[in-house]
Amino acid sequence: MLKYVIKRVLMVLPVMIGVSIIVFSLMRVFSPDPAPIVLGQHANEESMQAWREANGLNDPVVTQYFAYISGALKGDLGTSYYTKSAVTDEIFARFPATIELAVAAIVFASIIGIGLGVMAAVKKNSIFDAAGSLFALVGVSIPIFWLGILFIMFFSGFLHWFPSGGRIDVLLKPAEVTGFYMIDALIAGDGEAFSNALNHLILPALALGMYSMAIITRMTRSSMLETLGQDYIRTARAKGITETKVIAKHALRPSLIPVTTVIGLQFGSLLGGALLTESVFSWPGIGKFTVDCILKSDFPVVQGIVLLVAVIFVTINLVADLAYAYLDPRIKYSSKKER
Amino acid sequence: MKRSARFLALMLVFALFTAALAGCAAESDDDATEDTTEATTVDTFTYAQGADPRGLDPALVDDGESSKIIVNIYEGLLKYNEDSTEVEPCLAESWEISDDGLSYTFELKEGVKFHDGTDFNAEAVKFNIDRQLPPLVTEDMGYAGFVFGSVKDVEVVDDYTVKINLTAPNTAFLANLAMSMAAPIVSPTALEAGNNSVMEAPVGTGPYTFVEWNKGENVVLVRNEDYWGEPAKTKNVIFRFIADNSARVLALNNGEVDMIDGIDATVVDQVAEGGDELFEAAGMNVNYMAYNTTTSMFASKEARTAFSQAIDREELVASLYQGYSEVAETILPSFVPGFDDTVKQVSYDEAAAKAGLAAAGITKVHMIAYTNPRPYNAATGVALATAIQGYLQKVGVECTIDTYDWTTYKEKVKGGDYDIAFYGWIGDNGDPDNFLNLLSDPDPSMNIARWQDPTYIAGIKSALELPNGAERDAAYGDLEKYAAEQAIWLPISHAKTLAAYRPQVSGFNYHVTGNVFLKNVVVEAE
Repeated sequence: MLKYVIKRVLMVLPVMIGVSIIVFSLMRVFSPDPAPIVLGQHANEESMQAWREANGLNDPVVTQYFAYISGALKGDLGTSYYTKSAVTDEIFARFPATIELAVAAIVFASIIGIGLGVMAAVKKNSIFDAAGSLFALVGVSIPIFWLGILFIMFFSGFLHWFPSGGRIDVLLKPAEVTGFYMIDALIAGDGEAFSNALNHLILPALALGMYSMAIITRMTRSSMLETLGQDYIRTARAKGITETKVIAKHALRPSLIPVTTVIGLQFGSLLGGALLTESVFSWPGIGKFTVDCILKSDFPVVQGIVLLVAVIFVTINLVADLAYAYLDPRIKYSSKKER
Repeated sequence: MKRSARFLALMLVFALFTAALAGCAAESDDDATEDTTEATTVDTFTYAQGADPRGLDPALVDDGESSKIIVNIYEGLLKYNEDSTEVEPCLAESWEISDDGLSYTFELKEGVKFHDGTDFNAEAVKFNIDRQLPPLVTEDMGYAGFVFGSVKDVEVVDDYTVKINLTAPNTAFLANLAMSMAAPIVSPTALEAGNNSVMEAPVGTGPYTFVEWNKGENVVLVRNEDYWGEPAKTKNVIFRFIADNSARVLALNNGEVDMIDGIDATVVDQVAEGGDELFEAAGMNVNYMAYNTTTSMFASKEARTAFSQAIDREELVASLYQGYSEVAETILPSFVPGFDDTVKQVSYDEAAAKAGLAAAGITKVHMIAYTNPRPYNAATGVALATAIQGYLQKVGVECTIDTYDWTTYKEKVKGGDYDIAFYGWIGDNGDPDNFLNLLSDPDPSMNIARWQDPTYIAGIKSALELPNGAERDAAYGDLEKYAAEQAIWLPISHAKTLAAYRPQVSGFNYHVTGNVFLKNVVVEAE
């Protein structure tokens, strides 16, 4: 197991180097010069030159890259051109919001998705199956931002059940411990703050989780159908075990193996793909911020975020693989049988 | 494992449901208490804008989103009149200008304290200006050069008297001191603590004190109870950041926020349907078309005049901007000192245009235009250029338009390969020089007409040195007339600023500079 983990962790290195080179070059080749953006209406040739010099943009790109990487290895991702704050501060001020939303979305997507998938498989070809499949098809097809706008118009604008955006009413904000408002509210024992944060979270989490929910439903259904067709299920039924028990005990667990991988991958893409949802719901996360920074040619921030998301993505894949191995006892950790 | 997972899932669902229910219950409780305890006014005012401020250190930012927050936390030596850009005393009670126009002596208000409890005095003024002068000034202080570029040094005469010496007479310097960029006075103690930056921990002398900034979400301010003037009327002020225009309108219509800005004509109906009020403010900007006076085609005044005559600006502005821009007869907006309503641009005359263009032999014109909306031109430069192309077609002139995104466009303007280009200007300090010196600037990226007229340049130089008053105003009026007569630019429009607010809100001052002063804002309870 240890060897397997070490090997997987080492594989992260080339990925990270590749990602850093790609994002570094892309920003410098395709983004407009940051100097006039940062300096504004009164920028002139002289002030822009001084600014570029001060920010190392006159150095050869390779020198810039190595300066950046050596800083990054020490945990210094540089300073935002635009706000002049440390990139790590900028990222961590927003990252908990993105994680909170992604976790809520994946929890919703997993619970509903697995439930619907199991139901569709068990009642194959029934009305439930058709409804589940239709729901999944709609979930995959609807653009998230459009769904988000619909949700806001209906649940917030028309029914007034939920606020139209934001994370919490700021005057209720609990003392910051973890940066996750719901957890912070629980720590502070503040029920009002907790429910207020939850109220803000529900619509964006539903909108963001819809696509993943659909994928999970489909995956669960097909995986479950395959398992239910196995001989040992027939044997279990022949032994007189109740149908509920057969499904819950014998069929569900093995069916969840591929579903777990999908959930892991979906979670990764939720972190990276929350951009539209965050914009629609004014959710103060990292997605919207990234686009703003790309538009402002704020190189250090964009590089920092891409690196961070890459680390998370790679880590999630690793965890999913390990969980996969755990759920399926046939997978051994020896290098021989590794896939 | 499976059991615990199922248990966890059930618990989560349970938690979600109970909390959602609790949320609804808690909210209704809130409303009830508010109704009974707060009979007339609400103690929180929420303002929604499109984005986070860049930062809250007036020396280090240049954007409107920062500026709106900054003016409620800080004050400068001078301030603008509520309805115009004339300057009035603020932290300085009075001032004297030496006869040679090179020294400005300010008598400061006594007993003013910064939010951190330290004293506002002459040393603080010196500290704030010195940090923006060589050798301390840094390359990222975007407005230091503009505001304090003419300052030689600052002398502390006594605790409450400060003397600022200039390198050359510059009356616009007074207007600079009322600006929301570079000029507001920051607590020196806070600057020292923050390593010469208070971007995220602003400390000023203004009616509101900074509480916190939740990035991407909001900035929270609370009333400064020790304010030297009359304290602010509403206790809490929250600036929220909602990027999407229609989401901002929805939040307003829902009552989640009390006032919004940055909206455009497309959401005006939505605001009205929600029972909210619209606020239209004149904007300190100008949207214009410029002839490249260095080309043989437009070197002559007659050719420029004939081209301008082909364009019906009344019709053009009405159709492009749907009533949210005014036709610009002058370069200066009406509230800027020096505005002269007798200035008239070349008027529309299709027949005269046709004859004049034929006489000048103009049949093909090369235009460049920007593709982005700009604060002074929401319709984009391309839309404006295309409309003008249409007018010229009627008089037999073919216009080709090359279009570029804003950043590339600025490079193209600098390159100078055009007969006609489009641009605009957002006023900085409300001084007439700030607009009219564009036409005398030697830098072609500022002066896109590339006009270098000795009479005009001399006029700008002498007007800058005249003391504020009727003589100076008249000098700028004459300069405007001269430029209009020469038909160097064709000013198109002044864009209005649109904001919306709930009917319960009153007392805000949405200033012509685009800043919103919230000291007197009141929100009545529903």
